[in-house]
This record gives sequence, structure tokens and C-alpha cells, in this order.
Amino acid sequence: MLIENLFPEVCNLFGDPQNAVYLRMSAEGAEEIRTPLDGIPYFVSGRPDIILMGSMSESTQRRVTEKLRPYRERITGLIESGCVFLMTGNALDVFCRRITYVTENIVTDGLGIFDGFEVTTDWFKRKNGKIIGKCDGVTVTGFRSQFAEISGDNSQMYFVKADRGDGIRAGIPYEGIRYRNFIGTQILGPILPLNPGFTSYLIKLCGGNPRPAFEKEAVEAFDRRVEEFLDPSVKF
Amino acid sequence: MKQAKKINLRFIAAMTAAKLSRFALRALGRDGSCTPGIIAVKICPDFLSRLKMPDLLICVTGTNGKTTTSNLICSVLRRAGFGVTNNSTGSNVEGGVATALLAASTFTGKPKNETAVIEVDERSSLRIYRHMTPDYLVCNNIMRDSLKRNAHTDFIAYILGAAVPPETKLILNADDAICSGLCPDSENRKYFGISAEPGEDTVLRSRDIVYCPVCGARLAADYVRYDHIGRLRCPSCGFRSPDPDYCVTGIDRISGRFTLSYGGGKTLTLKTVNSNIVNIYNCCGAAAVLLEAGFPPEKIQAAFESLEIVKSRFNTLTAGGVKVTMQLAKGQNPVACARAFSYVASLPGEDKRLLVMIDDKSDNTNNSESVCWIYDCDYSALKDPSVGVIVFAGKRCRDHRLRALIAGVDGGKIRICDGLDEGGKLILSSGGGDIYILNDPYILKESTAVRDAIAGRLSNAD
Repeated sequence: MLIENLFPEVCNLFGDPQNAVYLRMSAEGAEEIRTPLDGIPYFVSGRPDIILMGSMSESTQRRVTEKLRPYRERITGLIESGCVFLMTGNALDVFCRRITYVTENIVTDGLGIFDGFEVTTDWFKRKNGKIIGKCDGVTVTGFRSQFAEISGDNSQMYFVKADRGDGIRAGIPYEGIRYRNFIGTQILGPILPLNPGFTSYLIKLCGGNPRPAFEKEAVEAFDRRVEEFLDPSVKF
Repeated sequence: MKQAKKINLRFIAAMTAAKLSRFALRALGRDGSCTPGIIAVKICPDFLSRLKMPDLLICVTGTNGKTTTSNLICSVLRRAGFGVTNNSTGSNVEGGVATALLAASTFTGKPKNETAVIEVDERSSLRIYRHMTPDYLVCNNIMRDSLKRNAHTDFIAYILGAAVPPETKLILNADDAICSGLCPDSENRKYFGISAEPGEDTVLRSRDIVYCPVCGARLAADYVRYDHIGRLRCPSCGFRSPDPDYCVTGIDRISGRFTLSYGGGKTLTLKTVNSNIVNIYNCCGAAAVLLEAGFPPEKIQAAFESLEIVKSRFNTLTAGGVKVTMQLAKGQNPVACARAFSYVASLPGEDKRLLVMIDDKSDNTNNSESVCWIYDCDYSALKDPSVGVIVFAGKRCRDHRLRALIAGVDGGKIRICDGLDEGGKLILSSGGGDIYILNDPYILKESTAVRDAIAGRLSNAD
């Protein structure tokens, strides 16, 4: 299984890089290509089994958007042909139509691959939260800490339907964007080590053979979190 | 005493209510280090603007080292005979700053002390500096911190850049390229740093500054100490870390002293509070601001001789022939915890026993703490062969165990338990080396109790 990790030297906030680490440890025969921001993505000429990109600062987000813009058609082609993408935190924003940076007074066009979605980022509106829900019947737990809010209707193309916690916006149960095998989620950080069941699901989606690393310990940590997240006294 | 806005009825009402609340809170046994200030600001939003500031106002900010640095500066000032207003034992957000200043002011807002050393939370800078102008602002570093509050270093640098008054003289860490880039248009900037030490790396593995802030090309490093702390340069446009005005040019870890070079050939030998490199930066920043403020070098030197690190940060006792050390490791702060792991691993000794209690107390009360930060923290120092056993104690122990395993720590060395007291018992029954308790600052009382119980059992067994 070939993993392309996009721009890990800068898309590395909040523990997101550990997704690539855990995926590599958990998929039999996995190899990782780490593409730096000053390099040419492997996907331009090759076809990885999964492309990962993690959370980044807003200035990096603008550089990443410009970096990927020339490859928009190729990315669209990969998505349409079923290549697996896992975009965590604000990596998802890059694929939307437009990003408005309120504090910095900057508006940039995103890649527009998901044209019905726009992003507003305000450094003075930090939102933190948790979510528990299901993706194709697999329970997913996660945390979010974000400046961005995404507008648009994802009710027909969501990643997780929340049992508790907000989805794409407050009061909406549908979290993230799922289109074919593209998964973009505002859940950030170590979504894979925190969710060994979802890690297996993702590896199978890539055609790989899952064997989640430290499965017993990962499941114990996961089970405890699920128990807490379903406890009504736990604040969301 | 510095001029402030004229006092008005609102200010008097705020001061009265705040002082009364402080008195009442203390009578109830509460520390009241923040609430009186919150009340004051609620009643009089520009309360801090109307409070007269002491003749010398030094603020200390930055992700790590604020408390230690401000304590060092305070100690020197007090030993030199000055009255000092300080908030290091209280809160460093707006309410805490207001509380410290009002507690040391008369009802009409006149300061009782000639100097103030105020620690300021970076995130609160906009709200604080709009009302008061420090003479000096020391910024130790800008690193990753609580992801929920502080997001990322760009955000914190933006806040500080927007908040710092132009009149304030900045004392910045030259070896932190994010920190040294603050307020680029200011002519009021001086830098401190530590020159290259033997064996330091030259490969930049920074996660927060990889590309040149001027031209965007990939940066190179003359040396890298940890994270992005080091001297960086851009091979493309010539951007480089500034030369420090106050530079540690030699560290003698045996005598616990370092040489500070400054002012075109002057040198000063100063005692450090301990050999941890982060504390040498703290000492250097403290000495730099005092020298910059005109304090005689010999007085600084004499005061440093008797300085000790605050016991809540690091302390050691021996019980039953076993050293039991408490080392602060601030939870939710990935760099601070990684530095604490690394420091403990670097200390002499074998078969060390580590009791790690770094969960966030408030985020685990009717809540489930975000554990993203532990995956942002480098656990690899725990692989050090000198570490014999690691007990993760607390509600998030299973998460810490998994994180450590992913980092490559031998699973046979890891124990977990949900309770802190249980952690103390578990560490005693595991191995026989010195014990290191790595604790979050907000569970100082609980971890001290665990430490005392451990020490008690060790003494009884002796």
C-alpha cells in the first residue's frame, strides 16, 4: 500500500502527522512517500493508494492551495477514479470554493473541487469540540479545534453522522465531506490511532490488509473514550 | 510612578469592589489571584489604563519559561532593595494582571512598589497592552502550546505583533526565529541567545518554521538545539537569525555557571538555576533585561548566586537512599512536556522510574480531554536506555501508553493506572532506580501528596 503524505513538514499541527505513522505501522507492506512543499507531488505522475494531508497554519494553507492549484484536474481525476484521500483539520478547506481570512482581510479561491462549500476563517472565533458518530457503521471519535467555519450543504455527502457533537456547523449532525473515497474532516489530530476500527476500514478502502498496530492498547483507549463520549455528564 | 488616565467614579467603584472581594476571598481561604481583577475590569473596562504604573514595568511573555524568568527578575530586584509587584503565583491573564497591580496599589490607584514584573499570557496580550505600556517586554520563545487556546505559532506571533506598544523595548530570544521576528519595524529590539555548543545538530527538523519568512525558500541551520531553537539562515535571500546582544558564550555544567557576553567585549559569569538548557535561556533573558534596564552587573551577579529554581518547577529529595525528583511537565503543552521528558532522560542514573501525571485536571472533570496534544508531543526521549519503567497515571493513561508505544517505547517498561495515588504505589513496586515525578502544574498539590507518600514509604522501608 502506497501512502502519499502531502507536505508533512508544514501540514503537521495538532498531532496529525501520527496518522501517517500509525497507518504505515498498521497496513501490511505499507510505504510512505513524503512530499515536501518545495517538491513535486507523486500523485502528479503516479497513483498512490491513499493521499494524506494534515492541519496547517493559515499562511501555509494559502501556499498549499497555490501549490496544488496547477494539479486541480489531476486531483479531480484521482477522486473520481476512487483514490482514497484523508484530509484532516483545515486541510479540507483547500478543496472548497473560497476561503475568506477575516482577521488578515484576505480572500483566496480554493481548489473549488467541492464548489458548494465556502470557508470563513476568523482568528478571533476559536471553536473547540468533540464528536462521536458513524462512518459506514464504524464508530469514529474525534476532537476539533478550529478558526474556520464551512458553509454549504453536506447532508448528502458527509463523512460521519454525529451521535453527539456538532457536524459541519453547530446544530448539524453531518460532519466533513465524503465523496467516493475522498474523506475530508474537520476532526483533527490523530484520528487513526484514536480509532483503530476506522483505521482498519480505511486500509480496506485502500485495498490493503489491516492489522492495527498495538491493537489491544488502541482498542482499550478507544473503548474508554467511547464510554466517556456517550456519558451524558460529559460536556460536548 | 507613571502617569495614567484620570481616575473617575467608575474606577473608584471598581477598586473598592475589587479590594473588598480580595479581602473576602482571602478570608474564605481562597487565593483570590484573579477574581478581584475580573470584577475591577467588569466595572471599569479601562481599569488598567487608570491605574498608575510603577517606575519600572517589566513584562515577561512567551510560551515557556514565563514564570521562571519573572521569578528570577523579581529575586534580583528584591535583593537590590526594590519593592516588586508580581503575579507569578497567580494568574497571567487580564484578571490576574489587574489583581496583582491593584493589590499593590492604593485606593486612588497609586503603586506601592517602585517596580513591577508581570507575567503576561500571550493570548491575553491584546487586552492587556492596550491599557498599559511595559518599559521592557521579555519574550522567551514562541512554541506550540495548548491547541485549543493557542492554535499555532503564527497566530500567537500575530497577536503579540499587534499588541505590543511601539514604545516598549523588546528583549527577544535570538535563537527562536519566530520570536526574533516579532515587531520587525520596531527599533526597540534587543536579543539574547546561546552560542553553539559542541555536538549540536545542523539539520533543521523544526515543525513551525521550515521556509524563509522573507522569500519562502527552505531554511538551513548553523545549529539546532531543539524544535526551531537554534540559528537559522536562508541560503537564498540571506535572511538569518539576529546576532544576540546578550550571548551565552560558555556553559560550565559542573560549576553550574555560564558566561554572558554583551556590550562589545564585556563578560559576566552568572550562576544558573539548573543545567536544563531552557533554564539557561530563562536566566539569560532575565539578565539581559536587567542589564538593559541599567542594573549594575555586579549586583545581578551577586543576586544570581543565591537564586534557586522555584520548588514547584523542580525539586529533589532523598528518601531511603532513593532520589525522588519532581519535574514540572505542563500538560497540553507538547514542547514543554517533550523538554521535560528529554531533560529527565538526560540526567545521570540508570533504571530510572518515571511517574507521569500530565492530564489536564479541568478538562477531565465532566469532560474528556482532547488528547491531540500528546500526539504532537515527542515521546521518543522515553526510549532512553536509562529509563527503566514508566507509569502513566490518570484518566488518560491508556492514551499515553498507546502514544509511547507508537513512539517506540518498549511496552514491557510501561505501566498504567487511573488514580494518582495508585501511580505512587505502582512506581514503588517497579524497579529500584531514582524516581522522577513529571507533573502538570494544576495538580501540584496532588502530586506533592503522591511524592510525600512515596518518600514516606521509602523512608519506612529503609
